[in-house]
Amino acid sequence: MSFLVLDGIKKSFGPTQVVKDFHMAIEKGEFVSFLGPSGCGKTTVLRMIAGFENPSDGTIFINGRNQSGLKTSQRNIGMVFQAYALFPNMSVFDNVAFGLKVAGMSKPDIDARVKEMLRLIGLEHLSDRYPYQMSGGQQQRVALARALAPKPQVLLLDEPLSALDAKIRVSLREEIRQIQMKLGITTVFVTHDQEEALSISDRIVVMNAGRADQIGTPSEIYNRPATRFVASFVGTLNIIDAIVADPAANTIRIGDNIITLREPIGAFVQGDTVSIALRPEAGSLSESATGDTALTGTVVSTHFLGSVVRTKVTVGGNQISFDMFNAPDKVLPQPGETVTLRFAASDLLVVKE
Amino acid sequence: MKMTKFFAWLAIAIGVIYFFVPLIGTFEFSLRMRRGEYSFDAYDSVFSDAAFRATFGFSMLMALLTIIFGMLLIVPTAYWVRLRVPQMRPVMEFITLMPLVIPAIVIVFGYLRLYNSSSYIPFTGSTFGTNVLLVMSYITLSLPYMYRSVDTAMRTIDVRTLTEAAEILGAKWPTILFRCIFPNVMSGVLSGAFITFAIVMGEFTMAALLNRPAFGPYLQLVGANKAYEPSALAVIAFAITWLSMGLLQLVSRFSKMAPSRA
Amino acid sequence: MGAGRPFSSSDRNTGFMSTASSSFIDRRTVVDWLGVAPFMIFALMFLIVPTFYLVVGAFFTPEGTFTFKNIADLFTPTILSAYWISIKVSFASSLGGAIIGFALAWAIVLGGLPSWIRSGLLTFSGVASNFAGVPLAFAFIATLGRTGLVTVFMRDWFGVNLYSTGFNLLSFVGLTLTYMFFQIPLMVLILTPALDGLKKEWREASEILGASTWQYWRMVAMPILWPSLLGTSLLLFANAFGAIATAYALTGSSLNIVPILLYAQIRGDVLHNPNLGYALALGMIVITGASNVLYIWLRMRAERWQK
Repeated sequence: MSFLVLDGIKKSFGPTQVVKDFHMAIEKGEFVSFLGPSGCGKTTVLRMIAGFENPSDGTIFINGRNQSGLKTSQRNIGMVFQAYALFPNMSVFDNVAFGLKVAGMSKPDIDARVKEMLRLIGLEHLSDRYPYQMSGGQQQRVALARALAPKPQVLLLDEPLSALDAKIRVSLREEIRQIQMKLGITTVFVTHDQEEALSISDRIVVMNAGRADQIGTPSEIYNRPATRFVASFVGTLNIIDAIVADPAANTIRIGDNIITLREPIGAFVQGDTVSIALRPEAGSLSESATGDTALTGTVVSTHFLGSVVRTKVTVGGNQISFDMFNAPDKVLPQPGETVTLRFAASDLLVVKE
Repeated sequence: MKMTKFFAWLAIAIGVIYFFVPLIGTFEFSLRMRRGEYSFDAYDSVFSDAAFRATFGFSMLMALLTIIFGMLLIVPTAYWVRLRVPQMRPVMEFITLMPLVIPAIVIVFGYLRLYNSSSYIPFTGSTFGTNVLLVMSYITLSLPYMYRSVDTAMRTIDVRTLTEAAEILGAKWPTILFRCIFPNVMSGVLSGAFITFAIVMGEFTMAALLNRPAFGPYLQLVGANKAYEPSALAVIAFAITWLSMGLLQLVSRFSKMAPSRA
Repeated sequence: MGAGRPFSSSDRNTGFMSTASSSFIDRRTVVDWLGVAPFMIFALMFLIVPTFYLVVGAFFTPEGTFTFKNIADLFTPTILSAYWISIKVSFASSLGGAIIGFALAWAIVLGGLPSWIRSGLLTFSGVASNFAGVPLAFAFIATLGRTGLVTVFMRDWFGVNLYSTGFNLLSFVGLTLTYMFFQIPLMVLILTPALDGLKKEWREASEILGASTWQYWRMVAMPILWPSLLGTSLLLFANAFGAIATAYALTGSSLNIVPILLYAQIRGDVLHNPNLGYALALGMIVITGASNVLYIWLRMRAERWQK
């Protein structure tokens, strides 16, 4: 059996159903992210694992043990909060030692363990500082050490980076991942930032209105989104409305272009509208680009974004964005120009619902 | 969690009993004037007492004067400090805290020794002078509340930016003060005014020691001499306090609509 | 004003002023101080100087020579007992106010009660904390006096004669009970924001680290709250110590607290030494001043943590 199992979890607050029939099996040592917009239920699921909320239906198992009867304080779980939640009346040392003191560990053992944790996060020199004397990033690292000190079986992180500056966010998420891999602790990470989830997770659960739309590795989520929601939430995506030309031959028409898809279209009839997804970085406007498919259209606008140049092109009533890497000597397409975009047909995805 | 709710309700119950029983008791007592039945006789007696009307009117007048002159002193000062001499703020905070620390009886004792008929500034030498001294003492007593509410209102509307905007548009300082600043701090002024009103109406110490015919000493006199009228007066006094606080809530609710958050 | 732009001290920071003559700059500075002059004059005349006069006068004899005798005379039995009773009443009412006030504030913030109870209690506290003085004494006489509602109620319904048990409203216990009517609301008003400041996450973090409710309160909540609790209790203490109107209306001159003694002294020089009155006042200022200073210091400590 997997280490952390969520079986048929449902949660309602009064008449509103916040989590609908959630299933997930997480292996020991795995780093899983719950990704989704505000209100999708990801934090609620996390809090149910922690025990702050009880599921309206379904069961949670940790290491084979049913968590239903257990109070939060009995579950041996570590949690890092968005607002750090360090105890303001205690020094860094005392904060990290809290869980150990509560468990009745002896003083020398506590000392040794706290020092070990502070070394892990690189803040031994701040051992006597108080939370109000530290930056957000430092406080969050202490919060991590505090959560890990009692050697919990599962680590939960509730949007831990949302309150921090952009630069700190990037360095701290990598640090969290490093520590997690070093300790091999099963981790659930809640976030609304898809870049965060993609960069550090073993697997991602994309949640939408209380349901898990897709569970998969970062690569799967990004390259083969299962639903329109996942496709649009994770990365920028072009959704093209195409007309089915010939269902048997898997051909569709976008504007004046007839394109053959690599994957089967599915149950469509000629003339139906079907949604096709295409990543902005999938194609190239250059003459020498390889690719078996081409779309011709008119440039609407070009935006210089630094390392990337984004061009918007109209093709048969659709507006499509293309990203190209910037090069100093590159000539940018001008509005009104006719351009041809080349890409591989396998880059086109039929979007379900 | 169940136990928590039980204890919470218990605490509230004890609180309610402790607070409402005296109020009910007072009201009940005030109805007992006529033997054997409940009546409003005590209230009739109070309202028909000339001394009641005289002292009530006197205290109301004093309250009004306190508010007017107090605000005339405080609003420009608060404005000036915010705008021109922000380094005075700690001094202002300290001064406006002093009336809360130094008991009223000590302050009025100081007045009596300093401003009696044999000193350089004989306030107490004449009735008018004593009345002036009384108003001054009331302004002093309500200084913490008046200053704080006006200052908070000014902080909320950011008087500095408002003044600079008005200046750039070409306004001279009387216009700025009366047409830009004053209307916007009106809520703060009114809040301070209502608290001041409640304080002055019930005030005893200053008025008694300065021998002025105010409502407070009148209350105490009635309490020493009559049986049922005191409770009627207590009910009236409580009603006045409620009224002032109620108006205060109303004003602060209105003021929430006025300035927008930065 | 010369420039026609009366306000905005930001002028001083720009290059605008660098070309003006030094007298112009001085004049602007003088004008600044002129602006606060009316208030300063008022404060001096009606707050600072009168107090100072008393404080200084405490160290002089009526004839005008410097002495510590007045201070020493404070330690006579009558006056000492007055201070002691004042301290007892203030301490008891602030302790009672603190405990019940804390219980009520806790109930409305953390007790899981409907929100209308919270707003109701806070509104009521706003009114009740101002309902002091003479009317308050009347209210309690009407309730717990010899023919008061509760006294009569207990006699008629429970056969208990309140006054035969030794209880008397016109006493230390009665005064304490009466004072609590405005002490408790004050505590509720000040403590409710402090309890609001106890972040929900601290409770949750402590729970998930294995602590029980008792451990949370002992190790986290109480240490965070105690500066506010103690500080507000001190405020209550100072508040009670300086109060006279309620006591005068309730117990007349029978309960010999310091403000009543001072009142009698002002009225009729009962101590036969006006400067002793100054010393009495000085004693009051020292006690209320010390309480308030401690309160402010504790409040600053509490606020430092709430970041």
